[in-house]
Amino acid sequence: MGETVSVTIKNLAKKYGETVAVENLNLEIKEGEFFILLGPSGCGKSTTLLCLAGLLKPDSGEIWLGDELVTSVERDVYVPPQGRGVAMMFQDYALYPHMTVFKNIAFPLEVGGKSRQDVETRVKATAELLGISPLLDRKPKQLSGGQRQRVALGRAIVREPKLFLLDEPLANLDAKLRVYMRAELKKLHQKLGTTTMYVTHDQVEAMSIGDRIAVQKDGVLQQVGRPEEVYDSPRNMFVAGFIGSPAMNMLEGTLVKKDENIGIDLGISMFELPNWAKEAVREAERSEVVLGIRPEHIAITKKYQKNAVEAKVSFLELIGRELHVHLTAGEKTLIAIAKPTQRLDVGQQVWLTFDEKKIHIFDKKTEEALI
Amino acid sequence: MFPKPERIILYILLSFFMFISVLPLWTCIMTSLKTMKDVIYTMPVQPPPSPTLEPMREAFDIMKRPLLNSFAFTLFATIFSCILGSINGYILTKIRFRGSEIVFLLLAIGIFIPYQTVLIPLVMTMSSLGLYNRIEGLILTHTAYGIPICTLLFRNFYEDIPDSLIRAAKTDGAGTWTIYRRIILPLSSPMFAVAGVFQFTSIWNDFLFGLVLARGTEALPASVALANLKGTTTAFWNVQMAGAWWYALPVVIIYLILGKYLIRGYMAGAVKG
Amino acid sequence: MRFIKDKINTLLVFLPSLILVGYFVYASIGWNAIVSLSDWKGLRPSYNIVGLSQYAYLSHDPVFWTSLENNLLLISLFVPGSLFLGLFLAILLDAKVRAENTFRTIYLLPFALSFVITAALWAWMYNPSIGVINTLFEKIGLGFLKSGWTTDSSIAMYSVILALIWQFSGYTMLVFLAGIRSIPESQIMAARVDGASSLNLYKRIVIPQLKFSALAAFVVLMVFALKAFDFIFILTGGGPGYSTYVLPLMMYRETFSMTHFAYGAAIATLLFVIVMMVVVPYLYMSSRRGKE
Repeated sequence: MGETVSVTIKNLAKKYGETVAVENLNLEIKEGEFFILLGPSGCGKSTTLLCLAGLLKPDSGEIWLGDELVTSVERDVYVPPQGRGVAMMFQDYALYPHMTVFKNIAFPLEVGGKSRQDVETRVKATAELLGISPLLDRKPKQLSGGQRQRVALGRAIVREPKLFLLDEPLANLDAKLRVYMRAELKKLHQKLGTTTMYVTHDQVEAMSIGDRIAVQKDGVLQQVGRPEEVYDSPRNMFVAGFIGSPAMNMLEGTLVKKDENIGIDLGISMFELPNWAKEAVREAERSEVVLGIRPEHIAITKKYQKNAVEAKVSFLELIGRELHVHLTAGEKTLIAIAKPTQRLDVGQQVWLTFDEKKIHIFDKKTEEALI
Repeated sequence: MFPKPERIILYILLSFFMFISVLPLWTCIMTSLKTMKDVIYTMPVQPPPSPTLEPMREAFDIMKRPLLNSFAFTLFATIFSCILGSINGYILTKIRFRGSEIVFLLLAIGIFIPYQTVLIPLVMTMSSLGLYNRIEGLILTHTAYGIPICTLLFRNFYEDIPDSLIRAAKTDGAGTWTIYRRIILPLSSPMFAVAGVFQFTSIWNDFLFGLVLARGTEALPASVALANLKGTTTAFWNVQMAGAWWYALPVVIIYLILGKYLIRGYMAGAVKG
Repeated sequence: MRFIKDKINTLLVFLPSLILVGYFVYASIGWNAIVSLSDWKGLRPSYNIVGLSQYAYLSHDPVFWTSLENNLLLISLFVPGSLFLGLFLAILLDAKVRAENTFRTIYLLPFALSFVITAALWAWMYNPSIGVINTLFEKIGLGFLKSGWTTDSSIAMYSVILALIWQFSGYTMLVFLAGIRSIPESQIMAARVDGASSLNLYKRIVIPQLKFSALAAFVVLMVFALKAFDFIFILTGGGPGYSTYVLPLMMYRETFSMTHFAYGAAIATLLFVIVMMVVVPYLYMSSRRGKE
């Protein structure tokens, strides 16, 4: 196991013509961390990776790998990809079609001037680790998607790099394989301990294998934190809506203060805020807010309860062990998750109670979380 | 920031090859503007100390009629071979019949045959048809030998047009040639540009057929006229270069303006000669 | 009813091409072959079949062997020369050069020009006394490199080959550049991250994947090396002596200058066979590859 590094990114920015790919990015990735860069397609994640790899020069900013400054626009420092000890895996695997699997994996070592003996040992060991030893004599076009992916992985780890960069590596695999490979990647990481930066647009993936997640939108960092943090305490509406499936329900309303009570007028009913929420909201500048509640934190009852919202069942989706209930309340639509055993019919009138500890309130204008 | 040394070497090499590519053309232009004395006494790369349009005028006088001839048969042969190529391409790709692959192969081989192989029969055919030394003869010849390459170009192009388009039209009740007129043809304009430009330059640049079929003055093509100019001892270098310039002009203009179509033609496997 | 009318129309529009190509290509090839088996000499056609005597005569003709030799020289020098120069230019241009379009346009221009023009240009360039090459050599102190070029029978063919490489490099560059550009960017990036220098990158990743481009260009160049007529006819006419004779040129001279029609037909048939030996395997291979 080789050494690994931490990554520091300061004020990274990159524009393509008029389009901003990355804007003022600041990140610290700890040594040995499995770090996820999450965001919708085209939000600058790949650009960030390419800058880290040294394949792209940013417009401004600095990048450190460990103690070494590898990119700095301000100080005119730029270490080319060859010199960074970084390995990268691409979405299309980028295997060399005219070389066998063995030669593909051996390439980084051969280029680095390692002896024949050395190359052979290490390639064989890597292939063993990844379970692709029987494939060593084949060419990429004879392999399945999953096999190609492992070859690409092999090529990346055979060098024992200091940093792994993975650009949506699982995007081209079918669903089942993706789930399997996710676990494999995590196991590999546990074994090798190399700092990994993993880019994806799949939030399920991010949540399941990341140590920490950075959510990015349009090149701007929205929030960084552990999966639980990002899930339970999203800082703005984008993060709240992006993470979690089905997405968080967003209900627009107005803050109403009456003596000691503060509630949100949702149009269809008044939702009284629990005490712990009142404090944070009391100082709010604007009164136009959005109430956020995740589908799993909504309970459906057939009888009126205090602080419940009246709604009608519009559509039912049975997804194995969950029942996704689509509801309409006035003009608003919501999704709630119920147990499959719960008896519900389309058109049925129900009452929804929200778990008071799990509500989120966002400022409608700034979209930032108030609590 | 001063460029890296590798980049400097790169640009030096590129410029060197540019120099080599341009050198013959540069000397051609320079020489065509010089008086006879200047041609002898100045370096060919030097600009003319006393420039004159006389060689240009002289050359033009000699080449006037041949240039016109070339325009005539080149234009017609280009149009005919392109139209036939488009029709053939359509038939071979959208109207499948047994053996269409073989027919295509047979047509395609026509692209590669050395024309020497058919020269004798060609001459005999043309003279017995009374088309020897006539523009019509050249039109017929160039059309016939242009069909293979045009068919190839259009066939490759039409293969990429989804069959579903044709099927949809058929279920709407359209006949084969209605489909051609209303669907295929409108989509073909870029290919007509490619085939047209390629054929025009190929036929314009041709020498062998002109030499063998139209040596006489009526239908003399510009290519042969230029060769004659070069072969004589009376026309001096400046007139020869001027003549080359006149002959090259249309192709150069096409290359500079419509070059991308020409390139597409080359890339499709079409090569002259 | 309409169905039949359709088919008739189709046949009608297909027929002209079939007839033209069938006659001007295939029938003509056959006709030519027959002439080669005759004893036609002089201006009156004669169809006395004399078997393969023309071919036998050919095998004893020193001019034939010189021509064949020159064609082989073309194949062995012109083809690799153009391929390597084109590859080199393509690699240079792949380096994200500014004004790439300008360079490309200029490199390709000679290829678009007629052989008549380029032959006239090179005749002028190669002129031993006042041509640009010799005078330039003199001027920059490399006077010892001066030569008779196309007037010197020992190097005339090499001068021809040089000029042809000049003309065709733009084409091979085009083919290779397209081949290089078709390699996915991610492979290049992967190689760089893996530590490959530019040299390694091109040597081990890029060039090995240019096999198909090289083959396509190779066939085109090979066929040209066998067919070349216009350029050589105008530049040297086959001289000095027979030092730049090639088969197409010999065929032309025998047939149209010396009216040895049957003899010329024999050369032409031979030429056809040789060219087909190169072309047919390639066409077969590429149509097979296209199907998979």
